[in-house]
Amino acid sequence: MFAYVVRRVLATIPVMAIVALFVFSLLYIAPGDPAAVIAGDQATPQDVERIRASLGLDRPFLVRFGEWVWNILRGDMGVSIFTNLPVTTMIQQRIEPTLSLMILTLCLAVSIAVPMGVVAAWKQGSWIDRAVMGFAVLGFSVPVFVVGYVLAYIFALELDWLPVQGYTKFEEGFFPWLENLILPAIALGGVYIALIARITRATMLEVLQQDYIRTARAKGAGQTSILFLHALKNAAVPIVTVIGIGIALLIGGAVVTESVFAIPGLGRLTVDAILRRDYPVIQGVVLLFSFVYVLVNLLIDLLYTLFDPRIRY
Amino acid sequence: MAEPLLVVENLQTHFRTPDGINRAVDGVSFHVNAGETVAIVGESGCGKSVTSMSILRLIPEPPGKIAGSIRFQGRDLLKLSEPEMRSIRGNDISMIFQEPMTSLNPVLNIGRQIGETLRLHQGLSAREAEAKAVEMLKLVGIPEPGRRVREYPHQLSGGMRQRVMIAIALACNPKLLIADEPTTALDVTIQAQILELMRDLKRTVGAAIVLITHDLGVVAEVAERVVVMYAGKKVEEAPVVELFNTPRHPYTQGLLGSMPKLGSSLTGTETRLAEIPGLVPSLKQKIPGCVFASRCPHATDFCVKVAPALEPKAPGHVAACHYALKEGAIAA
Amino acid sequence: MSSAAAFSSASLPQDVAAAPPMPDVLPPVKPKKGFFGFLRRNPTIAIGGGLLLLMLCIAVFAPLLWTVDPTALAPARRTREPSAMYWFGTDMLGRDVYSRVLYGARISLMVGFSVAFCSSIIGLTIGMISGYVRWADSIIMRIMDGMMSIPPILLAIALMALTRGSVQNVILAITVAEIPRVSRLVRGVVLSLREQPYVDAAVAAGTRTPRIILRHILPNTLAPITVQATYVCAAAMITEAILSFIGAGTPPIIPSWGNIMAEGRALWQVKPYIVFFPAIFLSITVLAVNLLGDGLRDALDPRMAKRV
Repeated sequence: MFAYVVRRVLATIPVMAIVALFVFSLLYIAPGDPAAVIAGDQATPQDVERIRASLGLDRPFLVRFGEWVWNILRGDMGVSIFTNLPVTTMIQQRIEPTLSLMILTLCLAVSIAVPMGVVAAWKQGSWIDRAVMGFAVLGFSVPVFVVGYVLAYIFALELDWLPVQGYTKFEEGFFPWLENLILPAIALGGVYIALIARITRATMLEVLQQDYIRTARAKGAGQTSILFLHALKNAAVPIVTVIGIGIALLIGGAVVTESVFAIPGLGRLTVDAILRRDYPVIQGVVLLFSFVYVLVNLLIDLLYTLFDPRIRY
Repeated sequence: MAEPLLVVENLQTHFRTPDGINRAVDGVSFHVNAGETVAIVGESGCGKSVTSMSILRLIPEPPGKIAGSIRFQGRDLLKLSEPEMRSIRGNDISMIFQEPMTSLNPVLNIGRQIGETLRLHQGLSAREAEAKAVEMLKLVGIPEPGRRVREYPHQLSGGMRQRVMIAIALACNPKLLIADEPTTALDVTIQAQILELMRDLKRTVGAAIVLITHDLGVVAEVAERVVVMYAGKKVEEAPVVELFNTPRHPYTQGLLGSMPKLGSSLTGTETRLAEIPGLVPSLKQKIPGCVFASRCPHATDFCVKVAPALEPKAPGHVAACHYALKEGAIAA
Repeated sequence: MSSAAAFSSASLPQDVAAAPPMPDVLPPVKPKKGFFGFLRRNPTIAIGGGLLLLMLCIAVFAPLLWTVDPTALAPARRTREPSAMYWFGTDMLGRDVYSRVLYGARISLMVGFSVAFCSSIIGLTIGMISGYVRWADSIIMRIMDGMMSIPPILLAIALMALTRGSVQNVILAITVAEIPRVSRLVRGVVLSLREQPYVDAAVAAGTRTPRIILRHILPNTLAPITVQATYVCAAAMITEAILSFIGAGTPPIIPSWGNIMAEGRALWQVKPYIVFFPAIFLSITVLAVNLLGDGLRDALDPRMAKRV
């Protein structure tokens, strides 16, 4: 087991290296002259040269890449072109709202989507099943910012139940924090719920056809016990896997959700950085999110043993 | 005489499919007395498994639909509510399935799976249930039951798993045990052991058994009475010795003829294994005449038009064939 | 056990006992056949295809559908509510939202289809190489793993930050972000097909590799790749809208749905219609493509049909 964990952790290093290489080499493979693009249309040739030097584009690729990786390993992600602040500082300032939003969305989505999928599979073909599947297609089709605006319009503007925008820190109390985050979390959770509900339903349908479910029925087990004890535990591995993979959707969606609800998180930082063509910041955020994503999926891999005794390392 | 333990009358189990209704079981009647072993035989797809699943109402409705009546100890199971049915499953009537490899839940340990029945029907606590599970494992002949009880199905062999299935089925001392091809998926040596075990346990527990199988060898060894099914219908029923000696229905004769006989190749009388030509008819079409007519060597136009009723051909022996001779006719 | 003795002669028996016919316990089923039967059995294809066709018509015939120049400024008529004159109202520069939304269909559909097409072709090539050239496989798949670890929207954002905003660059950025998924799919199909007995047989019979790929492998990847392409198309339209919405996509001068929403953002609390009309069109279009994809998957893969 321990050896397996070590092996899996080591296996993520090449993946991270490729992520880093890819994010870094975008500067070199992007069509056109990135330095000119970043400098903007009104820039003088001197401005472009200054940016070229600050990005290190005037030096050989490999030298610059090695230097960059070395700096990142020491916790230095470079300096923002626009604010001249270290990228790590900027990220630190913005990380709490994003983390709050993503964790709340994750909990909300999993606790809604899994029972939804289970019930849909149980009542396959019924109106409940159709409603869940219909909701899932809608969840995939309506973009997160549209959901955000509709929710904000109904619950904040028309009904005035919740604040329209903004963020309250967790230290200032759970309920103010929740009040500000609940609408963004629901908006962001839409696609994620759709994804998890669908895979839960699909896996459950397959599991419910297995012989051991028939055995459980023949023993006189009740419906709840069959669904949640006998079936769901067998369906857990694919469901948990998709929960991990779906985090990519949450990360992408957070960028937009934070804009709609004016939450001062990493997503907003990214959007602001794009408008200012502040590439070091974008680089830092992309790298951080990818790192978190890889880490979460590694963790989920290691959790498989909890659900299935057949998986041994 | 009191009513038999189980009386199945005109059982029909149909399924809705996109291209028509599948009449998997279409008007089957039989009974099982307390403590008796009745075998239901037939080729795969003849409806014998569906019949057994229908008794416990394990057929999903929809797309399935069960009609007729299934009286167990005088109560019609088809009229019971789902909770009432649940209190019978695994308690009064229990079932063993064909595939021991897939019939146990892979993520729950053995003790928990045996104990579940006890906790459901006898209200035992988790600890009591585990203790009883160890006892049951010992009863079905599993060595080191105290250790095995904590193990998972993938750690056991096929024969061991079928023993566990039997332990689950017998945990609550059922009055009726339905065994659906209990030995088919096992090695021949293991098959014999499992049959032996079932016979022993039947003696100690005193349960009646409905044995579903296509293996006439198994039937000859354990059954007292045999029901032969073909294309969703019962075509013949007789005490086991009578059936093997004087089969009346051409289908049964075909089945027995396709059984290899021990030593036939050694004695030099090189008799070919008879086989029944043709295929089982589709159950999605209604068949007006005899269901076996399309494959029967003796079939006439009349057989194709008029379905034969089950007629008594000898004491305790019925067959559905216009041409099968009756006891008196043979004598004459 | 001689069977002949057990039977009377072939003549009709005297005392025939006919079994009473059994009634059916279920209502009869009529199989649905033909083109309309296909649509009845696959309502999602009918609905999705119909809606998508409608959107295509809107995009193609936008100039004929009572629209005006979608970029014509008219400061005097700023932010008019929807009315008989301006069906969807006007934006803060006085442009007609109805005309802009209808022309916006062109951008969305073009981006969606282009990304689906390009990523399918490139993904197919990479997946084939990976599935067939053993030494390239591990290298390619490591790169794809790495790319897949970057959330696709972020990858597109990073690319867009380095290029000038244009529809081509948006298509390019989203295509790059979608390639790994398609490649992985194709590789999986190729690897499983290579195990098939009939492919083995073809290899044993001396059929040359290009011919095997053309005859056996390629045709079998078409079904899964078509289904995947519809999902890529839907995802691409959403990503385009998101990129434009946050200002990293289609240049603001071009009326795309994301741009219209981005422009309506500042005013959305007072003039919500500027945001909602493009939002509804975008959602319906993506929904149409998704429904079509679901329907195709069910129709092309009967094993999956019962499940997802």
